[in-house]
Amino acid sequence: MSESLREELGMTIRLADAGENSVLKPCVHDYQVSCGNCRLNSICLPLALESDDIAQLDDIIQRSKPLQKSQHLYREGDIFRSVYAVRSGAMKAYKTTDDGREQVTGFYFPGEILGMDGISNNLHASSAKALETAAVCEIPFTSLEKLSSLMPNLQRHFFQLMSREITEDQQLITLLSKNSADERVASLMLSISTRNSKRKLSATQFRLPMSRVDIGNYLGLTVETVSRVFSRMQKLEVLRVDNKEIKILDVAGLQKMANVGG
Amino acid sequence: MNSIIPGPEADLASSPAHRVEMELAAKYACEGPRYTSYPTAPQFRQDFPADQYLAWQQRDGDHKRAPLSLYLHLPFCRDICYYCACNKIVTRQKGVARQYLDRLQREIEQQSALVGRSRPITQMHWGGGTPTYLDNAEITELMHTLASNFRLLDKEYREYSIEIDPRTVDHSTIALLKGVGFNRISLGIQDFDPQVQRSVNRVQPYETVAPLVDHIRSHHFRSLSFDLIYGLPHQDRHTMQETLQKVSSLRPDRIACYNYAHLPERFSSQRAIDRLTLPSPEEKLLLQQMISHTLQDAGYLHIGMDHYVLPEDELALALREGRLQRNFQGYSLHMADDLLGLGVSAISQIGDFYLQNTREIADYYRLVDAGELPFTRGCKVTAEDRLRRHIIMSLICDLRLDIGDCNRQFGIDFKAKFPGELASLIPMAEDGLLDIGDGEITISHRGRPFLRNICMPFDAYLSAHRGDQPPPRFSATI
Repeated sequence: MSESLREELGMTIRLADAGENSVLKPCVHDYQVSCGNCRLNSICLPLALESDDIAQLDDIIQRSKPLQKSQHLYREGDIFRSVYAVRSGAMKAYKTTDDGREQVTGFYFPGEILGMDGISNNLHASSAKALETAAVCEIPFTSLEKLSSLMPNLQRHFFQLMSREITEDQQLITLLSKNSADERVASLMLSISTRNSKRKLSATQFRLPMSRVDIGNYLGLTVETVSRVFSRMQKLEVLRVDNKEIKILDVAGLQKMANVGG
Repeated sequence: MNSIIPGPEADLASSPAHRVEMELAAKYACEGPRYTSYPTAPQFRQDFPADQYLAWQQRDGDHKRAPLSLYLHLPFCRDICYYCACNKIVTRQKGVARQYLDRLQREIEQQSALVGRSRPITQMHWGGGTPTYLDNAEITELMHTLASNFRLLDKEYREYSIEIDPRTVDHSTIALLKGVGFNRISLGIQDFDPQVQRSVNRVQPYETVAPLVDHIRSHHFRSLSFDLIYGLPHQDRHTMQETLQKVSSLRPDRIACYNYAHLPERFSSQRAIDRLTLPSPEEKLLLQQMISHTLQDAGYLHIGMDHYVLPEDELALALREGRLQRNFQGYSLHMADDLLGLGVSAISQIGDFYLQNTREIADYYRLVDAGELPFTRGCKVTAEDRLRRHIIMSLICDLRLDIGDCNRQFGIDFKAKFPGELASLIPMAEDGLLDIGDGEITISHRGRPFLRNICMPFDAYLSAHRGDQPPPRFSATI
């Protein structure tokens, strides 16, 4: 994978990898970035806004320093005050089950908004932590609402975005709950591929930011099963797996495995 | 699965047991309230003691912490269904939903401040009109407004339901509804026959409803309910048999069958229905009997009035355990004493009060814009009303009244207090609708379709109307 692609993916150049004090330029974790110059602004909140309005939106957004791997963004039960847009890196959301186990409920990539599960009762229904060093933009909800009253487009777009996120989440949950192991793993790979292409990144070649354990947990499969499915996919030459690096060789074959029309 | 559906004419009309039922149905066909409240809505007045209600709400107490049920009225429809008698506005004008949502949002803020923001919302229902007139973004926004002003629950036991017009939703809306917290869906089916559907201007072929039902199931909603209507134009025993076959093959958890009341002088949309295409009263009785028999043969339990549920449904269990309640949304589990209605024409039942928001959208906007609560009528429940409400709701929900318990709870001697009422029940007892024992009145299986008749003697207002609008013509009891 080329260095620039790696940088675009925002997944590999970790502060830790580069040494604590080194400064990388341009750095995708730069928290001085603004909505106006963010390369994700065509899929994120500013989508529906004029440039003057984008500047106003930018004013309410809080950017703090990047989260380190395993650091929490919010925890289950926290009061819902903000939603968050991932700028770089990747996040996972999880719930704690009654018997204390972790249940992964979603993975979030750059340009995606998380924290919306707080909407149904004003408390976060899950916890979110960084799968790797990740930069997020915090969008405080009360400021967003105030701003929305001045910019009806923003309000409309925000709730559109929110409804789309909620819908996609539910559709994936449904898909995952009823299908075979092959279908589940293939669906997740396709989902990541589609989301990458939305960000104008390679749809066929990417690095998985999450572990096999997380994948298994999310899909309701054992780690062994996940590995077996990956081996099967390799054997069928649907994709090539090199630890966390994925290269999709046969999109139609993958769609067939996922049992979705393609 | 439905091999036991009786042949259209053969069994139903001719077997002796069915003939008795038909005779009873004909005998007890009269007009009466559905008792979703007592006193019923026609008894509400503009000059009810609203100041007492507000003063009571402003005092702190347990009533500010108890669980609460919410009803949201979303009045818009894209098309008119000719049979409809609901408070609705048929329009496709852009921006109407936005105008309404802005007002609803203000009402939600005002009402939550008054009624209590921290009360757990155990039940919520969105009705209409057509709640899914709102698009996905608007649904999300409204749920967010509610969550910001009330304590919505994510507990499994919550009952958050929404009425869906199958013509207005796609698969993404179903996923969204699940994601924003709904766990029950009610589908307005009415009838599957194409000619019946055309004649009421609601065309929704079985072929589009069936995949929608599959989709709803795949999202694991806790329950799916169908609304059916009998007495519609062009309905006959043949169309009804087909419809019931399709309904039972889709196997909804709950079915509510409503009786179409043709009152064109009151509901202008009904003027589009040709009276001559309506089933005759005798045919309508037969349809009602067919519904009852077919659904029970298909394994549904008749819980009372025109409501049927699968035996494993929570309502069936609640009936056995005496935990059913009846309010403006029909039967449900009893989880909260108070119901707050939001939106134009919505009715609240809170403490000793019933309150109804104005039925006129312009008035609703004017009141909310002026920062006022939009209710315009209501009533304060008296001690006598409470006693009669207890009797009526026990009969309707539990299918029995414990007389000893009633005497203790209200400090009365039932038999001395209600001699006339008891006398009115005697002919019904003789017809096998109920049993009057020393300690209790129990409603028999045969009596379940006639709950309204059984309750009407206890309704003090049927003979002494006190509402400030002329008494209504009620829909026929069966």
